[in-house]
Amino acid sequence: MAGERNPASCYLDERTFQLCCQLFLQHSETIQDGWSWEQIKGTDEGFMKKTVLMPVKPSVLHKQHEYSIQDENMVTDDIQANVEDETAGVQAVCEIHAVLRYEYHVLYSCSYQIPVLYFRASTLDGRPLSLEEVWSNVHPNYRQRLQQGPWDTLTQQEHPLLGQPFFMLHPCRTEEFMKPALDLAQAENKRMNYIVTWLSVVGPVLRLDVPLSYSTEVSAPD
Amino acid sequence: MADDKDVLRDVWFGRIPACFTLSPEETTEREAEPYYLLLPRVSYLTLVTDKVKKHFLRVMKAEDVEEMWLEYEGTPLKWHYPIGVLFDLHASNTALPWNVTVHFKNFPEDDLLHCASNSVIEAHFMSCIKEADALKHKGQVINDMQKKDHKQLWMGLQNDKFDQFWAMNRKLMEYPTEEGGFRYIPFRIYQTMSDRPFIQKLFRPVSPEGHTLTLGDLLKELFPAAICAEGGWHQR
Repeated sequence: MAGERNPASCYLDERTFQLCCQLFLQHSETIQDGWSWEQIKGTDEGFMKKTVLMPVKPSVLHKQHEYSIQDENMVTDDIQANVEDETAGVQAVCEIHAVLRYEYHVLYSCSYQIPVLYFRASTLDGRPLSLEEVWSNVHPNYRQRLQQGPWDTLTQQEHPLLGQPFFMLHPCRTEEFMKPALDLAQAENKRMNYIVTWLSVVGPVLRLDVPLSYSTEVSAPD
Repeated sequence: MADDKDVLRDVWFGRIPACFTLSPEETTEREAEPYYLLLPRVSYLTLVTDKVKKHFLRVMKAEDVEEMWLEYEGTPLKWHYPIGVLFDLHASNTALPWNVTVHFKNFPEDDLLHCASNSVIEAHFMSCIKEADALKHKGQVINDMQKKDHKQLWMGLQNDKFDQFWAMNRKLMEYPTEEGGFRYIPFRIYQTMSDRPFIQKLFRPVSPEGHTLTLGDLLKELFPAAICAEGGWHQR
């Protein structure tokens, strides 16, 4: 029947958030993508989390002097090191990376009625990264965008459920990028999984990969 | 709101007398005297302790100085909580002045947020105001205000100017009379007994039947442990 549809809501109630996460997690299990659900004891609240080991160029980290080739930590941190034999007279070609541990949490914000991405990052020996270091690891394509608004950016925040310092991507612009996706899905009579769509957009900003199979295999909750 | 002006002033001008002492772990060139200060309950530690920092820096070498952080009886103090909340949470049952220890090294990365400058405090404060307005008015009032209005709100807090602050804040505290109240009440119940730093949930100020609800109703629904069986009040 022809007629004006109400625009799809960019907002998510908590129950739908949890259902979307459940479906997301089922697929993660299937493809061994490493996501898990953390339930807050004694409540009906929880969040999704995933820990990733990420090789980055040493220039991301400020303490340059710690990353000489002779450095012991560096050798154990290596994922790829192509050091050619010097005595062979060949120019040494080194692609030595540092390895960082990124822990991503997907939480629900009842104030804004949307999901929010929190994360923390550290070196393998447990040193937490500074905001500057985290910034320099944001994909260059996104850096300018993030710098535009005072509140639409990356800041250090207290994790609302764990009470520890995390970084958070401010959720103010969520409506802006979710709306076109939601409207399109509605126009095509498809029901999308909010979390899959949302995480596929915000994840890459923080170097979080969301494989394409989520978009095809994960359904919307009933 | 006009009738509440006295209450608003009393809340704004609430003070906590504090005594700041340098941690014995710090390396000093000579002994440092404790520093006494009246702390505004509604403000933030990093915003009002510049004088404390300057006082102790006088006895320290520059190379021994990193980001200052404060601690009470072994617990790092979260600068991003209002001072009054910190005091009530950690020291309300102890004698005044509030004895706070000052540190310049071994910043507790797992407990405290960094505070590189006043703009970090401003961003945090404005973020809280914005979230509260999202609950009260779906964010419509804060978003309709101009940048200079936001700035005035912040400057009022930073410079302890009640009238300057409330000229802007009163817009955030209004609601259409037919609604009977805000959409949801912005509140946080802080606690020390669990990892979870505070309880924050959606709560409408008016019941479905149209009765205005009280703080007691909120606690009964969301934190019944705070009210003991006899109808009295638990501490913290």
